[in-house]
Amino acid sequence: MPIPRKPDNSVITTCSYCGVGCGFKAETLDGKVVRMIPWKEGKANHGHSCVKGRFAFDYYNHPDRVLTPMIRSSIDLPWQKVSWEEAFAYAASEMRRIQAKYGQKSIGAVSSSRCTNEEIFLVQKLARAVFGNNNIDNCARICHSPTQFGLSATVGAGAASQHFDSILQADVIMVVGANPTGGHPVFGSLMKRRIREGARLIVIDPRQTDIVDSPHCHADIHLAIRPGTNVLVLNSISHVIVRERLYDEDFVRARCEWPEFEAWMALVSDERYAPEIAGPQAGVDPETIRQAARLYANGPRSAIYYGLGVTEHSQGSTGVMCLGNLALSCGMLGREGVGVNPLRGQANVQGGSCLGSWPHVFSGYRFVTDSDVRSSFEAEWNVTLDAEPGLRLPNMFDAALTNQFKGMYIMGEDPVQSDPNQNHTIAAMKQMECVILQDLVLNETSRYAHVFLPGSSSMEKDGTFTGAERRVSRVRKVVEPLAGLQDWEVVVRLMNAMGYPAQYAHAGEVLDEIARLTPAYSGLSFALLDRVGSAQWPVDQNAPEGTEVLHTKTFPRANGLGTFMLTGYVPTAERVTEQFPLLLTTGRILSQYNVGAQTRRTANSQWHQQDVLEISADDAVIRGIRDGDWVNINSRFGATRLSAKISARVNPGVVYTTFHHPESHVNALTSDRSDWATNCPEYKVTAVDVLRLTTENAMPSEAELEVTV
Amino acid sequence: MMSNANNATDKSTTVLDMGRILVMAEQIGAFFAPYPPLRAAEGVRNHLRTYWDPRMREALLAHIDTGVNGLATHVVAGAQLLREPVSVQKKGYYGPPQA
Repeated sequence: MPIPRKPDNSVITTCSYCGVGCGFKAETLDGKVVRMIPWKEGKANHGHSCVKGRFAFDYYNHPDRVLTPMIRSSIDLPWQKVSWEEAFAYAASEMRRIQAKYGQKSIGAVSSSRCTNEEIFLVQKLARAVFGNNNIDNCARICHSPTQFGLSATVGAGAASQHFDSILQADVIMVVGANPTGGHPVFGSLMKRRIREGARLIVIDPRQTDIVDSPHCHADIHLAIRPGTNVLVLNSISHVIVRERLYDEDFVRARCEWPEFEAWMALVSDERYAPEIAGPQAGVDPETIRQAARLYANGPRSAIYYGLGVTEHSQGSTGVMCLGNLALSCGMLGREGVGVNPLRGQANVQGGSCLGSWPHVFSGYRFVTDSDVRSSFEAEWNVTLDAEPGLRLPNMFDAALTNQFKGMYIMGEDPVQSDPNQNHTIAAMKQMECVILQDLVLNETSRYAHVFLPGSSSMEKDGTFTGAERRVSRVRKVVEPLAGLQDWEVVVRLMNAMGYPAQYAHAGEVLDEIARLTPAYSGLSFALLDRVGSAQWPVDQNAPEGTEVLHTKTFPRANGLGTFMLTGYVPTAERVTEQFPLLLTTGRILSQYNVGAQTRRTANSQWHQQDVLEISADDAVIRGIRDGDWVNINSRFGATRLSAKISARVNPGVVYTTFHHPESHVNALTSDRSDWATNCPEYKVTAVDVLRLTTENAMPSEAELEVTV
Repeated sequence: MMSNANNATDKSTTVLDMGRILVMAEQIGAFFAPYPPLRAAEGVRNHLRTYWDPRMREALLAHIDTGVNGLATHVVAGAQLLREPVSVQKKGYYGPPQA
């Protein structure tokens, strides 16, 4: 084996996987990244890292990378390689042609939470200032949009109340619908450290995740609820808190809207939320609900951490409100060791949410219908802006099917694989006349695209990410962009080709524009981040180097008070029946990342070569399924095949899989049901049946898996 | 799927399939149902005004105008509040219905 040469350069940057936002030293040799060293000064990770950030970086240099722009006039034709100029000119003329033919609102854009703040901000600027409409969305739509809605409604800020290190002062940790050791491993380790030090742990999750039971870590209480009953169980916990007067009256009187608290108490204290009634419906022991309520309320410092198991439901926003209500009622906000904290799946979900990549709000969560806010953007951008909300991502697909939406610019997303009800998405994609896809590699969506613009990985560009703890960190260019342009430059060039004269000398000037237009980001600049390393928003005159804990004195609402929402339980329309007797829920594992576009192109795939279906022994036995058998899974919306794994981690009646591999077609199964407030898809509850394949055919062929429309 | 695509050529079609709009309106109504009637209607109004593309709001109102809608009373009342003059309307807001 040759002696490894030492790297010749080292650049401090931020990991592009999950929302923890670990600082790394990216080390290069001869212009290629050779290793990622966790950065000791990184305030999110303090020198720690996980198996993805540390090792899964080779994707950036994978042979699958597409480095030349391509166009085609029809998705039936082969791709034609063109220059950047030709690609921009074609894309711009197509988008303008479509608008002339079908109207100004017939096109839109989608950005990715894998992209930087600067890129996300520019994509929404492209939609608003250049397309002239508010048809802009972000993939946070399909994961954490309910967080923004539910937390804004109760505590006034759609973001984590704490910094990660706050957990080291927590006495009670409540994890709801999240798998921190797999999904957010570096923070998961910090959580385990605190549990080893004696913090008590409550887990609410249908599945026995690693945090429930693993070496040196055991949950005091695990409520293995039936998928879809979060709101019922959280209301039941609230019921106990109200009936046993465990709430913090002094805090509520001083810091919250008392009349709304009284209305909330009246709702949750209703008999239908009594543990003896709610428990059996949710499949959990009533006494355990009571214990969880007492443990949480007594703290004295209790912290909530939650994930997509809360948000990806038809009552996702209601579930988030339940958590806000719960923390407010027990005074678990505004100091160290407490709080309500969403764990974000992608590096920049928080930034994607903050920076106006939504059809109804500008950056800083301010409504497009607000003329004062709108005029500040009109002055900066020198255009008149649409005063009405635009279409959300699922509604763009819906409108494509009525022929009223014909063109889409997609940056760093693969909606055909990642969005629910795959057959519906594909039918919508086929209706569009111009789909512009910007990505590192050809993906499932590229089959339906007309323009392919080569993307740049986070190794190849400058910008910032906002992590799950509101921490804004620098992404620094480590190697030159393989295709010649950084992603933010591509957006600017497309704006220019469409006739809008945007100019930026470097990405830092985009952050400067964000700071001018966004109060919570007003103090941010590359210069500040170079000096202090990273900063948690709000970064402004009052907090020039950022804010670790929110809500210490007031809540960011008009009257400064926290408030309570009435969170009635409305069961999902997705029900089990004789035909579909099992509930499918989905999740992720440690070594792979989301749809796997990056991690599947690294050696990490050795740990997880395929998605499997976890099924309880009870459900397997009655279906004649043995460990490793291939099974057919059918839902009301589609079908797919997976290999079965008999597992004690899921209760009878529940099956579980990951969605890291496109050939699994998990989203052929998922429904078109979505959150009432945000249309965040209900990925976490799908009624299915599972049948063992009777023939000996192991892997289904590609042709069999081809989705038909 | 094909039926949707065929409908698309019909100029009178709504921006989203009407069935989908009604499901969304019903879901919003179900959330605000625990509030007293005036607040429930205002909650629906604020949500539709701040989150829905105007074409979706118009489609819902046109459907309500047909008289037979099957929607909850407070959903109909909330949608009809959208017709108040702009000067009377509140700015969009987060949190409990302000009525």
